[in-house]
Amino acid sequence: MSREIGGEELRELAAGYALGSLDGDDRARFEALLRAGDRDARRELRQFEETLARVAAERPEAPPPAVKAALLARIAAAPRVAAAGDGSRVVPLPSRPRRRIWTAVLAGAMAAGIAAIAVGLAVSTRYERRLEALGQEAAALKAELERQASVLAILRDPATQVVALNGLAPSPTARARMMWHEKAGGILVATGLPPVPEGKAYQLWAIAGQGAPVPAGVFTVDAVGTGSLRVPPLPGVTRVDVFAVTLEPAAGVPAPTGPMFLAGKSA
Amino acid sequence: MREENPVSAATDLIAGIARGDRSAFERFYDLHAALAFGLIRRIVRDRDAAQEVLQEVFWQIWQDAPSYDPSRGSPEAWLVVRAKSRAIDRLRAMRRREQTFVAPVDERVAAAPGNRGDDPAMAAEDRGLAQGALEQLPGPQRRALELAFLEGLTQSEIAARLGEPLGTVKTRIRLGLERLRAAFKVDSA
Repeated sequence: MSREIGGEELRELAAGYALGSLDGDDRARFEALLRAGDRDARRELRQFEETLARVAAERPEAPPPAVKAALLARIAAAPRVAAAGDGSRVVPLPSRPRRRIWTAVLAGAMAAGIAAIAVGLAVSTRYERRLEALGQEAAALKAELERQASVLAILRDPATQVVALNGLAPSPTARARMMWHEKAGGILVATGLPPVPEGKAYQLWAIAGQGAPVPAGVFTVDAVGTGSLRVPPLPGVTRVDVFAVTLEPAAGVPAPTGPMFLAGKSA
Repeated sequence: MREENPVSAATDLIAGIARGDRSAFERFYDLHAALAFGLIRRIVRDRDAAQEVLQEVFWQIWQDAPSYDPSRGSPEAWLVVRAKSRAIDRLRAMRRREQTFVAPVDERVAAAPGNRGDDPAMAAEDRGLAQGALEQLPGPQRRALELAFLEGLTQSEIAARLGEPLGTVKTRIRLGLERLRAAFKVDSA
């Protein structure tokens, strides 16, 4: 049955298959050809798929850098195979050090600090001052690594809600993402916000149902309007329906008073 | 023979990704993210949803790189097939949600720009400012192709939508794609 389907009909099936638009019967017929290793079917399909790639290539659009950053963080935080999540992969790749990257960096940093201390003591007390600085540096590094590890833990937890916040009237082009985990807290990343006036700050609010907005921290933005905020777990707050950002006095306020710049509902 | 083409840089990068090389992944992303994102945006429109789909597509690339087979097509085509199918999945999910419930949306959120297909840049494109090969096809071929490629409809759904016989739709899709294939000189394998 090598040549029951050919010519125009074969190309019709291949074109529809490349587009993912074949109805059940036609799709089954074409997949049978592919499974049988039909060279014409594969060639036609391949050419039509290349054609669609060219169509797509005519209208590229640069994605915002946040996507790449999130992907790299995700990759750094999880090994390729174990993260597949569907359990269907039975052949694990050789495991790579990626899995333990942050642990390794942390251990390395601590080891470096300890080694420096040992050497310093052996050489001379005149290094005492320097040692102290190194110790502080190591402690700061450790704190920073712990902070990053907690951020990564939030990013890779499936229970983490991701809420997109859109700009409102004062800053329609502003955007933000809130990653929220009821036990671990969350991370807000905002872009496109106007500079903060003297004595003011942006304040994040978490709103559940009809409840009053719960203050979730204040932040400012850099010269290009980008800011971020690490939010600790909020006592009594689990599921959040709306996140919003208002402009408030720099120290923050217990209930919102200023204009709202960003808001987003969770899905 | 396409095999006469030198093994492309992109193919090397996929091989690197398959070995778990993160810098290869980063370079592949830098080279191809705009290709995928442009297509995803044309399908799902919403910028935030498109970013999520893009991340899922490249996450899948990271996971699936070992299964890439260069004899089946270029890395670009491999990526586009994935981007298209993920974006269509997302589009269908968004439509289901719109049809099945009306959320008591905070009005300020609903009124915020960029939530739906009202992005000025997209609107400009829709007014025909961007002219690609697809836009230059005869109207009926273009329409059928767009309904399949950008809206995710099956051929029988397209026939119902356009009120045309199924056979006519199949022919238009074939003729349209063949014309594009010739325009892009994607021939001989």
